[in-house]
Amino acid sequence: MISVNPSTNNLEKLDLHNLPAEQTALDIKNLNLYYGEDQALHDISMRIPNNRVTAFIGPSGCGKSTLLRCINRMNDLVEICRIDGQIDMHGHNIYDKNVDVAALRRRVGMVFQRPNPFPKSIYENVVYGLRLQGVKDKRVLDEAVETSLRGAALWDEVKDRLNASAFSLSGGQQQRVVIARSIAIEPEILLLDEPTSALDPISTLTIEELITELKEKYTVVIVTHNMQQAARVSDQTAFLYMGKLIEYADTDTLFTTPSEKQTEDYITGRYG
Amino acid sequence: MNTWFKSGKPWIWLTAGSVSISLIAVIGLVVMIGWRGLSFFWPAAIHEMSIEQADGSTRTLIGEIYESESVPTSRVSNSGTIMDGYEDEEVTRYLMKIGNREYVPLDFAWVLGPAIRSDETPADLAVIERTKDGNFYGYPIAVEQQGERVATHGDLREELFKRAERAVELNEQAMQLQEGEIGAINYELTQLNLQRRGLELSGTLTEEAINDIERRREELQSQYLEYEKELFALRDKAGRDSLIMRDMRGEEIKVPMYQVLDVNFPNDMGFFAKLGHFFQQIGKFVSEPPREANTEGGVFPAIFGTVFMVLLMSVIVAPFGVIAAVYLHEYAGKNAVTKLIRIAVINLAGVPSIVYGVFGLGFFVYMVGGSLDQIFYPEALPNPTFGTPGVLWSAVTLAILTLPVVIVATEEGLSRIPPTLREGSLSLGATKWETIWRIVLPMASPAIMTGLILAVARAAGEVAPLMLVGVVKSAPMLPVDGNFPYFHLDRKFMHLGFHIYDVGFQSPNVEAARPLVYATSFLLITLIVGLNLTAIGVRNHLREKYRSLEH
Repeated sequence: MISVNPSTNNLEKLDLHNLPAEQTALDIKNLNLYYGEDQALHDISMRIPNNRVTAFIGPSGCGKSTLLRCINRMNDLVEICRIDGQIDMHGHNIYDKNVDVAALRRRVGMVFQRPNPFPKSIYENVVYGLRLQGVKDKRVLDEAVETSLRGAALWDEVKDRLNASAFSLSGGQQQRVVIARSIAIEPEILLLDEPTSALDPISTLTIEELITELKEKYTVVIVTHNMQQAARVSDQTAFLYMGKLIEYADTDTLFTTPSEKQTEDYITGRYG
Repeated sequence: MNTWFKSGKPWIWLTAGSVSISLIAVIGLVVMIGWRGLSFFWPAAIHEMSIEQADGSTRTLIGEIYESESVPTSRVSNSGTIMDGYEDEEVTRYLMKIGNREYVPLDFAWVLGPAIRSDETPADLAVIERTKDGNFYGYPIAVEQQGERVATHGDLREELFKRAERAVELNEQAMQLQEGEIGAINYELTQLNLQRRGLELSGTLTEEAINDIERRREELQSQYLEYEKELFALRDKAGRDSLIMRDMRGEEIKVPMYQVLDVNFPNDMGFFAKLGHFFQQIGKFVSEPPREANTEGGVFPAIFGTVFMVLLMSVIVAPFGVIAAVYLHEYAGKNAVTKLIRIAVINLAGVPSIVYGVFGLGFFVYMVGGSLDQIFYPEALPNPTFGTPGVLWSAVTLAILTLPVVIVATEEGLSRIPPTLREGSLSLGATKWETIWRIVLPMASPAIMTGLILAVARAAGEVAPLMLVGVVKSAPMLPVDGNFPYFHLDRKFMHLGFHIYDVGFQSPNVEAARPLVYATSFLLITLIVGLNLTAIGVRNHLREKYRSLEH
């Protein structure tokens, strides 16, 4: 059986299905997604609370990453992808025609499966987003680098070699540079797409601890196919299967007393 | 046998053999060109030969042995030469360069081995490099100053070197004056005429303007006269001395010192003196302009023209190629039309270069250049400014010729950028353009450099289209000089490739020019290799900098 880390779950339990607007970071309504003729997401509706960690779990190909990439409209890059339904952020549909996608992505940061630092120095990686916004003041940039790297629990390891190439770091450190890079532009939501799948166990542990800290400032949505990880770091968990949202509940509840048969089968390892 | 085939060994032999043949061909070519080109600069011994002639009399020849070959005796006797008492089947024939062009009908002579009665290399023989009429071979007798002999025996050489050096220095000063100050005045006078014509055309040529222009013209004229006086004074000074030489006919000949470029006694040189002379000659070859219809002197204007044109072409082709590749790869829809365009671009690389030359002449020179002249240079008409072949149009034509290479290489580079890096940039709020500009293009820069290397290699060796759009046999002025606006892109230029063709096949003196062809070819190869190595160095540096994640 999977043990749920009590320290992360001592928060008051929320009524996820009737979440009040002020506690809602994202409101996904009847979302369908098609790749050409194939439907990858079927009528997903869920509310993601703010300043909490929400995990998407499910077997490979269930659509959890696709759903995550809908939140910052990363799927726009796929030409054959078509979406209907809506995702509301502060009452505004992010799929509205007049939404500035670049501005949306500044509010919704993302960390990817494999560390993807830019071929620049650590410093330049972290300030990349700020430079895009036209920030030139050296003091502001320096400050942002320190805050972000501290926020990503990397400052002490790299403070003496900020001008070294980001490639000179280990995989786990690179991933934390990517996290620092994302939080440097102070997003509201942080999307983590299997952030530890390419990392060793010790780096994984560091990142998991970091996620718990991050939720104080950001709403975190994490995709993982490691159920222990979901149980350790998340406050609520959504189980997806074949493009459908099967069950969405407090992590505690979902892992100990799942209401759906499919969920139970999955978390007890009968398939997936 | 069957198992031998199956073992794959024949394949290894086949592939290794092909590589070896290619290597041998390339190395052989470079060594042959290099040897024949460089040996031209090595000071050759001067022979004094006495030759028996058909009527029994003897004749003295002084000169360098240029070439020797074996010919069948029968062929020589058939051509009318009497070969009595000569039994061997083959006879050696020497080609002597005897110089002294104005005193002998031909400055090269064939000599049959058996006819040589004596062959010596006296240390007193000198070779004199002259600005006119090629080399002079002979014995120095005396140095004259204003018609009086000032040095004869003992101190002759010392005095000779000293005075030759003085003359060379004075000539150089005169040359600098002519090309610097006097050239600038001529340029300004031309500009003044153009200015006047321009005012006339716009109908604003007032009395006042005419007076102003005339005043300036007179100012320039008086300056010019002063410089001219100075120039003549320098020339007079240089003409003070002359050298008395005894040539192979035994006659004393006066060689004016101002014609002398260099005096050498190669028979009296040790190895290191020869080595020094060798490098000195190479230095002159790459730094001096050609003389005597390109058959003598150096090739500096051609080197300059080649490098300048190639750099100009790179500056034009790189941005265009990169922009086109970015559009094709990043923005154009992935459909049949894009595919068709891409195929068309790749096939452009296969169009014969002379076709580009014709296109460049018709489109750039006559259409674009002609229109530019109408709009911007009406005062110079009917003389064309840009409506005539020039270095700009050559660079543009070659840029079009090499565009496909840059586009293909850049696209290749763009497609190798990991998509996760693009996503990383986009997820930070970058637009597609910002991502391309800040992440994708820097990472693709090694590939862009590869494209540029290939483009430069192709452009530097291309001659055919240039003959239509800007290359000339001899350009009076470089495309870059000290006169505002310093870069004169409308000027015609010299090019090493064309120089090879011109010297080798259009020269009045084929024998004299042959070593120059090899030397120039070797130089062109060296230059292209040098340009490529520079670009490869830059690329490797960039590669190191943008070494991607090792997934």
